[in-house]
Amino acid sequence: MTLPKRLLLAGTALAAAGLAAAPAAAQSKPEPIQIGLIAPVSGIYARPGTVMRMGAEMGVEDVNKAGGIACLGNAPLELAVVDSGDSVEKATNAAQRMVADYPKLVGATGAYLSSFTLAVSEVTERANLPLLTLSYSDLITGRGFKNIFQTSATSGAQAEIALPIILDLAEKQTGKRPQTVAVITDNTAASLSSVKRMKDGLLADVGLKLVSEEVFTPPLTDATSLVQQIRRGRPDLLFFLPTVISDSKLILEKMQEFRLRVPTVSFGIAIAEPEVLNTVDPKLLEGVMSAVANWGAKGQEELIQRLKDRYGEPWMTQNAISTYGDMWVFKAALEKSCSRDRAALGKALRSLDGGEAKFYPGGTIAFDEAGHRKGASLTIIQWQNGVPVTVFPEALALSQAKWPTP
Amino acid sequence: MSETQVLLESVLQAIVAGLFIGAIYGLMCVGLAMIFGIMRVINFAQGDFMMLGMYAAYFAFVGFGAQLFGTAAGSFVAALAAAPAMFAFGWAMHRLLIRRVTGTQSAGMEAEGHYAQLILTLGIALVLQNGAMILFGAHMVSIRTPLSSAAWFVGPFGDGMALFLNKARIVAAAVSVAVILALWLMIRRTGLGKSLRAAADNPEASVYMGIDVDRAHRTAFGLGTAITALAGGLLAANYPFHPFVGLEYVIIMYAGVVLGGIGSVLGAFWGGMTIGLVQQLSALVLPTQLQNATIFVFFLLIVILRPQGFFGRNVERV
Repeated sequence: MTLPKRLLLAGTALAAAGLAAAPAAAQSKPEPIQIGLIAPVSGIYARPGTVMRMGAEMGVEDVNKAGGIACLGNAPLELAVVDSGDSVEKATNAAQRMVADYPKLVGATGAYLSSFTLAVSEVTERANLPLLTLSYSDLITGRGFKNIFQTSATSGAQAEIALPIILDLAEKQTGKRPQTVAVITDNTAASLSSVKRMKDGLLADVGLKLVSEEVFTPPLTDATSLVQQIRRGRPDLLFFLPTVISDSKLILEKMQEFRLRVPTVSFGIAIAEPEVLNTVDPKLLEGVMSAVANWGAKGQEELIQRLKDRYGEPWMTQNAISTYGDMWVFKAALEKSCSRDRAALGKALRSLDGGEAKFYPGGTIAFDEAGHRKGASLTIIQWQNGVPVTVFPEALALSQAKWPTP
Repeated sequence: MSETQVLLESVLQAIVAGLFIGAIYGLMCVGLAMIFGIMRVINFAQGDFMMLGMYAAYFAFVGFGAQLFGTAAGSFVAALAAAPAMFAFGWAMHRLLIRRVTGTQSAGMEAEGHYAQLILTLGIALVLQNGAMILFGAHMVSIRTPLSSAAWFVGPFGDGMALFLNKARIVAAAVSVAVILALWLMIRRTGLGKSLRAAADNPEASVYMGIDVDRAHRTAFGLGTAITALAGGLLAANYPFHPFVGLEYVIIMYAGVVLGGIGSVLGAFWGGMTIGLVQQLSALVLPTQLQNATIFVFFLLIVILRPQGFFGRNVERV
C-alpha cells in the first residue's frame, strides 16, 4: 500500500472512530442546570440590575470551576437573565415570561427592588420555583410562601440592628447621644418597612424623638419642600431612605444649599452606588453612613479585585456580592437535593445547613420556616475619602467608623 | 421663629422654588408647543429630544465647557451650545421622517395622518431611548457644577427667617425667560415668524401665498427640538439623567401645553410655570408623595372648567 493510501485509510478510520465516539462524549457531558436572574437591565434601575448580573456571572463561573454540581455528574450551572424592567407591572410580566420561556429553570434570584420581588414572587410561588432574594421588605417573607428565601435581614430587623449601633457611635465619639430625628423616605416597599418598624416603637426604645417625617414618590424633581421640613425641625440626626440615585443627589445638595449640617444616615444602597460620584460632589458624601444588607468586606479582597479587573467596578456593592453568594447557596442546595426538580430544590433549601455564611453578613446558610436566613445581620458602610467602606460589623470592617461632624 | 414666620418662610420658599423650576418647565413646554401648535403633531418623542439635549450639554460640558469657561459658567455655555446641534437634529428628523406623515404628505391619510404620526413618534422615542442606552450606558450622570448646591441667601428677617435662592436654578430661569422673549419677538416681528404663523393658521392658503409650508414646518420642528433640548441642558445641572429620563417629563410638557392653551406658545410657558408652582405649593398642605398627583388633579380641573386652557382662545394658534 502506498503512503498516500495508508494515510487516507488511517484518516478514514480516525474519522469513523471520532463519529462513533461523539454521541458517547455528548452523553457523558451533563446538561447544564439553569438558574434564573430576574433583575432590571433596562430602564432607570438598569445599572444595579447589571451589577447583579456581574455577581451572578462570577458566581456561576466559580461554581463551575469548582466542579459544578458533583452529585449531578458535575453538571455546570447556567445563568438565564430575564429583564424585570423598571416597574412592578413589567416585573410581573417578566416573571411570567421567565417561567414560560425557561421550563428547565430550577431556581432563580432577584428582583432588586422589594416592590418588584413582591410581584415576581407571586408568580414564582405558583410555579413552585425557589427564589432567593436580597430585597429587604418584611412583607416578602410575611405571606406564608414556601418558595421565597430572603438572604438579607428584613428592613425592620435591619433598623433594629442599626439604630443602637449608630447612636452608640455618636455618643462614643461626640459625648452626646442624639435625641431627635427627621425621616425622609421614598414610598417603596423596603423603605416603608424600615420606617414602619422605627415608628412602631423602635425610635422610642432607643430614645429618639421623631420631629418630622416626609414620604415622597421617586424620582423627585425638586427637594425644596422636604429639606424645608428638616430646617424647621432642626433634628440631631437625619434618616434618609431613597432608592434612586437622583433623589440622593437632590436631597444632599439641597441640604448643602440650605446650609444644614445634620449627620445623615441612609438605609439602602442608593447613596453608595458608584454612579453617585457622577452626580454629587464627593465632599457632600463624606461621612454619610448607610445601613445595607450586604457589601464587599474583609476576607473578600480577592473577589473584589476580580470584580474591579473584569468589569471595571470601583467597589463591590451588595448587588454583586449577594448574587455571587446566591450561586453558592444554589450549589449547596443542589448537592443536597441531588435533583433537577424545583420542588426538591425548594425542600433542600428549607432544610439546608450550609454552615457559616461566607458571602452575607452574619448568620448561617440556613432558612427558617418563613424563608428568613437564620441570623442574618447587616453591614454599615460609610463614605470615607470618596469610597463607601464597610465599618460594621467589626469582624468584616475595612475601616473604622467616624461620626460625621457637622 | 414663631409659627407664623415658619409658615411664611415655607410659603415664600415654595413660591420661589416653584417659579424657578416652573420657568424651566415652561421652556420645555414651549418646545412642544412649537411643534404641536404649528404642525399639529402629537410628538411622543419630545421627552427623548430633551434627553438628547441633556446628553449633548453633558458632553459639551465635559468636552470644552468646563475647561474653557469653568464648572460654573461652563454648564450654561454647554446647554446653549447643545441647542444649535439639536436644532440640526430636529431639522434632519423632520426632513427624513416626520414630513412623510405631516403637511401635504398627510393628505389622504386616515385621520389626517395623526395615527401615522403617533406611531412614528412613538417609534422614534423607543429608538432614541434604547439607542441612548447602548451608546451612553444605563448609569446616571449630571453636569457637576458647584452652582447646583449653592444659594444666594436672602435674610435673615425677624427671628431667623430666610430664603435660599438656588444659583443654578436662577440662572437657568433667566436663560429660559430670555429665550422665550427672543422667540416671541421672532414670531411677532420677523418674516420667518410670519411664515410660521401663516403655516399654523392655514397651511393651504399659505401655499397659495407663496410660503414654503414644508420649510416652515421643518423650522418649527427644529426650533421645538432645540428649545426643549435647551431646557434639558439647563435642568441637567440639578437633575441626574439617564436614557429614559424623557418619560418623567413628557407628561409635564403635555400638561403644561394644555394648561396654557393648545397652540399658544406664551400660554405653554405659563402652563409650565403653573405646574412648577402647583408642585411646590401643594407640598405645603398635602403629603409630598401627592405632589405629582396634585398636578393632574389641577390639570383636570382646568380642563373641566376652562377647556381652552388659561391663556388660549379656541381659535388662537401660535
